[in-house]
Amino acid sequence: MKGEGYTLVICEKPDAARRVSEALSDGRPSSQTVEGTTVYRLTRGKEEFVVCAAQGHVYGVSDPADERNVYPVFDVEWYAVDAVGDDAKGASRRIDAIRRLSDGAARFVNACDFDVEGETIGFNILRYACGGKEGSALRAKFSTLTKEDLVRAFDEAESQKGQGLARAGRTRHAADFIWGVNLSRVLSQAARRPAQRYRTVSIGRVQGPTLGFLVDRERAIRSFVPTPRWSVTAEFLAGGLSFTAEHVKSPMEAMKDAQRTVENCLGSQGIVKSMSKKTVEVGPPVPFNIGDLQKEAYRAFGFPPSRTMRIAEKLYLDALISYPRTGSQYLPPSLGFEALLRRLGKMKEYSHDIDELLGMRLRPTQGRQYDQAHPAIHPTGDVPKRRLERAEASLFDLVVRRFLAVFGPNATREVSDLVVGVGEDAFRMVGQRTLKPGWMKYYGRYSKSREVEIPAISEGQTIKVENINSEEKFDEGPDRFSQASLLQRMEAENIGTKATRADAIQTLLDRSYVSGQRMEVTDLGISVFETLEEHASQVTSTELTRGLESRLEAVEKSGGGEAELLRETVRTIAAQLVGLNANEEALGNSIAMATASSVAAPELLVLGICPVCKTGKLRVVKSRKTGKRFVGCSNYSSGCKASAPLPQRGSVKPVTKPCPSCGWPMVAVFTRRVPWMLCVNVACPSKREKGH
Amino acid sequence: MKCLVCGVETKAELCGNHRKAKDALEAAYPRWTRAYGEMDWRAFLDNVKRNPRTGQWARETAGFLEGI
Repeated sequence: MKGEGYTLVICEKPDAARRVSEALSDGRPSSQTVEGTTVYRLTRGKEEFVVCAAQGHVYGVSDPADERNVYPVFDVEWYAVDAVGDDAKGASRRIDAIRRLSDGAARFVNACDFDVEGETIGFNILRYACGGKEGSALRAKFSTLTKEDLVRAFDEAESQKGQGLARAGRTRHAADFIWGVNLSRVLSQAARRPAQRYRTVSIGRVQGPTLGFLVDRERAIRSFVPTPRWSVTAEFLAGGLSFTAEHVKSPMEAMKDAQRTVENCLGSQGIVKSMSKKTVEVGPPVPFNIGDLQKEAYRAFGFPPSRTMRIAEKLYLDALISYPRTGSQYLPPSLGFEALLRRLGKMKEYSHDIDELLGMRLRPTQGRQYDQAHPAIHPTGDVPKRRLERAEASLFDLVVRRFLAVFGPNATREVSDLVVGVGEDAFRMVGQRTLKPGWMKYYGRYSKSREVEIPAISEGQTIKVENINSEEKFDEGPDRFSQASLLQRMEAENIGTKATRADAIQTLLDRSYVSGQRMEVTDLGISVFETLEEHASQVTSTELTRGLESRLEAVEKSGGGEAELLRETVRTIAAQLVGLNANEEALGNSIAMATASSVAAPELLVLGICPVCKTGKLRVVKSRKTGKRFVGCSNYSSGCKASAPLPQRGSVKPVTKPCPSCGWPMVAVFTRRVPWMLCVNVACPSKREKGH
Repeated sequence: MKCLVCGVETKAELCGNHRKAKDALEAAYPRWTRAYGEMDWRAFLDNVKRNPRTGQWARETAGFLEGI
């Protein structure tokens, strides 16, 4: 026995506490309830352990005065999160349980996730609930919740020096609170006066510049004027195979040029001017960090980044994948690639590919980003012990397939370039095909390779122009951000952290500054941003936020300098509040106007292009007079009177396919009964057939 | 004064957003005349207004300019 009393282990989540206790215990750990919280008791050798869990952050920062309408607020203190209005239920009871358990403890181990947030959670519990044990507690560091990794982590646990991560985490929380609470209060109060009612209008430190990226793009989209162009393509027939090639000057900027080309080439013979082929080696992708995983999951399954994060954390807590909140794209050889692959090979869907890989030299590709605390995201080799939900199974498969792919050899692709001359005109076709799939085979359905076959043809060969076509096309406007591409932009600009970026995006959606999967900025979002841009430009400044991130990173490394950083945050915010306060009336009017329009006429749902005017969008809108919902065209003010009634009960969701009878959009109506499909067109022939 | 298109308080005839949309329309007009050979300003505005790819502010501004 190592002295009197037991070792109290603090974990971040209840599932982690259970896994830690099972991994460390000589026999089966016993569980008991303390203050409504499950804790585990176990014996390891001669040492007695008690393992307890937080539920994420149980402490948070708040304003000691706690007066909703008062600003500025520059003093912050740490409280149990449920005491300051956070929705984390039971934090106080968990804290009470840990406090009671700490009385009998002789040693403390912080076993929260090893990153800034985990360090902050552990630090706060050890400081506030355990009576100032943050300096003497040992730190268990692990990247997976497998038995081997946990046992090693506890064998190697040691006391922390500097507490840089925790200090940086606490500073970030305090700075973000000062930033958020002051801006929220000044904006909400300004908006309340003209509107005569309270509505939270807020902007966080990371949300400001992120909203800026979206508003810049939205401005470009809303001001976009398309330009006509003509795509000219010719269809050729060679060796019984028909293929299409595009004019080398396509798209053409003038209609007359396109027409002249069509007239010149129609019914003519073409001559193959050149036919070149080259092979290209395509290397395997790099291992996943969280940003890459979020982007790939969005591409493959359409998961928003916040959903991917939630699922990945669940898989981590099931010990199926390694710690997901990592920026690392590096897989250290110490993971034991061969043993890991052999364990994964027990799953029959991967066994064949793994057998092949085991016959090769196991050297993974590595990315440029390296994180000392955690390796890149990888499967642990453990087989799922429960039936995974569909989304979980998809994400797990993606992680496994990516892990296999990084060991694969280069893929070999052939790129062909064919140019056919027709008189003075020339048409080009570019073909691509995979000669050796290499790593693509192991990445399976997630490999994105375009296969375009080019017919067997040789230079000088004469071929007939079967058809020639000129099609008027208009430029596409600027692309909207998807959640994944926005995340990528945030990463590139070093805004936020890998752990918080997805939450910042979600907050913009929750605040109605942005709507839908297409990340369309609402009038309210534009108004809030423009107001801040005019009166408090630092709030939306990318440089300022990026600078703060760099300084927080310096705190992480050195474990000092946080007081000066907070002082500077206070100075910045104070200066911004002066500008906002002086313009409160103008600020309130513009926000209230945008808020009113987004509340009174919310763009609830877009169902599709209006079949009457062909340019507007049919949307579900609510009548200001009657409060009833109906379908109306966005071009109503320009004269389109297309409208249709809707059922007033239940929820309505758009359906991607239009009505097969009339082409109008369809909706799915969900009530307590079985959901049903409805064509919104009152004059739809299908309704007459059914006798509606 | 108020923006003649959207009614937002502004210091000029058009707010910043509709001013930029007007600039975009004026920049696009020569491209359209080059594309179709000839096209008068009103026909251009009408075409732009009906085009589903046109942005919301550009469409609103085209409608406003058409009515002048």
